[in-house]
Amino acid sequence: MKNVLKSIIFMTILLILYEIISYSLITNKENIEKYGIRVVSNNAILTEEKNTIDVVAIGDSLIYSSISPMIIWNNYGYTVFDLASAAQVINDSYKDLEYAVDTQNPKVVIFEADVLFRNPKKVPWYYKFTKLENYFSLFNHHNNWKIYLFNFLKTDTTNNIFKGFKYINKTVSAKEKDYMKKTDKKTKIPENNIKYFEEMKKICDENNIKLIIMSFPNMRRWNYSKHEATLELSKKYNLEFIDFNTETDILNIDWKTESRDGGGHLNYVGATKASNYVGEYLKKNNLVEDHRKDSKYNSWNEAYKQYEYKLKNN
Amino acid sequence: MSYFSLKYLLVFLLAIVVVYIFTPKKLKRLLLLLASYALFLKVSKKLVIYLLLSTLSIYISGLLFKKIDDKRNIKIKGVDKEKRKEIKEKYKSKKKIILICCILFNVSFLFIFKYLTFFTNIINIIFSSDIKVLKLLAPMGISFYTLSALSYLIDVYNEKQEAEKNIVKIMLYLSFFPTILEGPILKYSDVKDEFEKKSKVTYKNFCFGVQRILYGLFKKFLIADRLNMFVKLVFDNYTNYNGSTILLGALFYTILLYMEFSGTMDVVIGSAEIFDIKLPENFKQPFFSKNISEFWSRWHITLGLWFKNYIFYPVSLSKPVKKLTTFLRNKINARFSVIVMSAISLFAVWSLNGLWHGAGFTYIAFGYYHFILILLGNIFEPLIVKILNKLKISRQNKVYKFLQIIKTSFLVVLGELIFRAKDLTTAIGMLKSIFTNFNITKINFLLGMDSKDYIVLIISIIIVFIISILKEKNINVREKISEKHIVIRWIIYYALILGIIVFGAYGPGYDPVEPIYADF
Repeated sequence: MKNVLKSIIFMTILLILYEIISYSLITNKENIEKYGIRVVSNNAILTEEKNTIDVVAIGDSLIYSSISPMIIWNNYGYTVFDLASAAQVINDSYKDLEYAVDTQNPKVVIFEADVLFRNPKKVPWYYKFTKLENYFSLFNHHNNWKIYLFNFLKTDTTNNIFKGFKYINKTVSAKEKDYMKKTDKKTKIPENNIKYFEEMKKICDENNIKLIIMSFPNMRRWNYSKHEATLELSKKYNLEFIDFNTETDILNIDWKTESRDGGGHLNYVGATKASNYVGEYLKKNNLVEDHRKDSKYNSWNEAYKQYEYKLKNN
Repeated sequence: MSYFSLKYLLVFLLAIVVVYIFTPKKLKRLLLLLASYALFLKVSKKLVIYLLLSTLSIYISGLLFKKIDDKRNIKIKGVDKEKRKEIKEKYKSKKKIILICCILFNVSFLFIFKYLTFFTNIINIIFSSDIKVLKLLAPMGISFYTLSALSYLIDVYNEKQEAEKNIVKIMLYLSFFPTILEGPILKYSDVKDEFEKKSKVTYKNFCFGVQRILYGLFKKFLIADRLNMFVKLVFDNYTNYNGSTILLGALFYTILLYMEFSGTMDVVIGSAEIFDIKLPENFKQPFFSKNISEFWSRWHITLGLWFKNYIFYPVSLSKPVKKLTTFLRNKINARFSVIVMSAISLFAVWSLNGLWHGAGFTYIAFGYYHFILILLGNIFEPLIVKILNKLKISRQNKVYKFLQIIKTSFLVVLGELIFRAKDLTTAIGMLKSIFTNFNITKINFLLGMDSKDYIVLIISIIIVFIISILKEKNINVREKISEKHIVIRWIIYYALILGIIVFGAYGPGYDPVEPIYADF
């Protein structure tokens, strides 16, 4: 009996400690510095001022490696936010979009096509931990300790000066290869992903948001049969699809100098090209407005100064 | 299913513990057997037939050995020495036929499931043939339970182990759920008494078992999975990195492998401990080894012992080898004959050890790499002793010992590089880069890990290192903790549990290590 009581007390204290840590690491809080936020991950956009984001870019690491919102801000005056996480599954993309439209009124959503082919059932961590999300959300957000601890170190942890972009100043060249060889095959998009994609499309329609599918340069995971499957999907829903892997002359990526990891992602030089293209595209299609002279967006100008400073001192 | 999965720890294991507590004593063993087969069925489904066939084959062979031995014992009663020898030989040959058939029966399954593809490919390459390559899904843990089955069979044949009459015990021996996936490779004598004793889940067993499991989770999630990010990048595209980064990648892989495998063993042994079943240890601080032979007596101990008992000794004591060594002893000298004898036996051991780890040239090379190192160690031993005596350096000298440990660890790291490389050409390329393109100032540390990851990594490794030193000094860390005041004890447990949850390298953005040894 004594041991049963001891076990109950042990578990109770454990749960209390767990809750305290969860509260400290997860709960949304105000910005602790002027432009630094406490909670990154998927809640980052909640810390932006209401209805100030024009474009939300949703997807996996290809988004946060390819689109630097600060470059677009400086050159075009549009407010873009990367709502991206590594190896993102579409269930999370959907959640991110829900978050975004909760506090923002974006005109455009850019969706990275790579996510369409990542089957959540085959992503081991996703099912293990996301199922527990409602009860034990710390399992999904435990990595937030990086925001609080050891801050004497310079890290590449995202903060909202970068607006979701992940700055990694590194070049690992890739050997040129024809990774987009034409084929009649079409990769199957998992049914779950089509379902979530339709839900995302519904949210966009309800909020008058233009949904654009993009596939950023990715020599490692992308191929022609995925391109074909995405093209078919885009046609079915009457959406624009820009594939930088087939339309290589848009960005003219030099894989020897413009990749950070041997063909998997762009480096900063590549990301600058991609970001400027996105800015140019938004301008050409007259989708959003230039806010650079609008005092409501002063914080973006100041964030840009800090962004430049961080880049120079990295 | 991985032993680190929530499904195993919080659903499967916990459910069995609860049911076990309320199961009558007589049925407890049966419950463990049912749980073991349920796990096997879930993972390998109808392939369970092969496990059953192996179990039946050794069970029946064991009983036949016993029957033959009993008959022989009656026959030799009151018979003179010469006649007795003759009768023994006669019955031994009968047993030998059964033994060979049963070994072939079990090894053929292992060969078909694990090596058929590999050898078909080799035949196709050598003879430019086009034999269809069959890709078969192997039954869970076949490499582990086959070795356990053979060990029982050979021990009963040699009358070192009594044949078991109760089939439930043999079934449990080969399928016991904590050991089926990644070992340890059991001898029947290791667990016979454990399965027979009236075990129950006590508060102490439960706490000790959970403690051990937590330590395994700590090693896996804080260290192994964190290092995996770096290791994958280096090994997948080694041409992108210089020799120093490749060496760091190989070092990280060695640490990863140790943390993953020994962490798994912690979960395995901890799981069994909850049921008051003591399993043999598989690791004994391997990185404190002073030479490669010692390393292999501390790393994957049960595999090493298996090869020693069932390959090394039988080959050393076989008639042809004995004849050869006698010949060499007479013609050259005793030392030379011993070296030749050990070379032949070690060659057999390391050929099979390499193959056991996997059907691939990197694994075979990995085996021969260790064979050469151990053989060279044996050959040069007298010379080293001479040099040390001349220089008046004692082997007990701490600096000397430290240097030996560093040397051994370095050799192990190179061996693991061969083991992990995707093919032999890659392994050679990586090794070449280490020795020709090494520049310590150009190490690329930030591959898949940021500086904060390094802090967690270093602290975690230091914790494991301190615990290893204490264990090396024969200090029972767990007993020591259990003697502490409850407040201190609980603080340690909370730190461990919450530390794993918060600092573990799992979830979005991480790529966990697959259970490495489960594939063997």
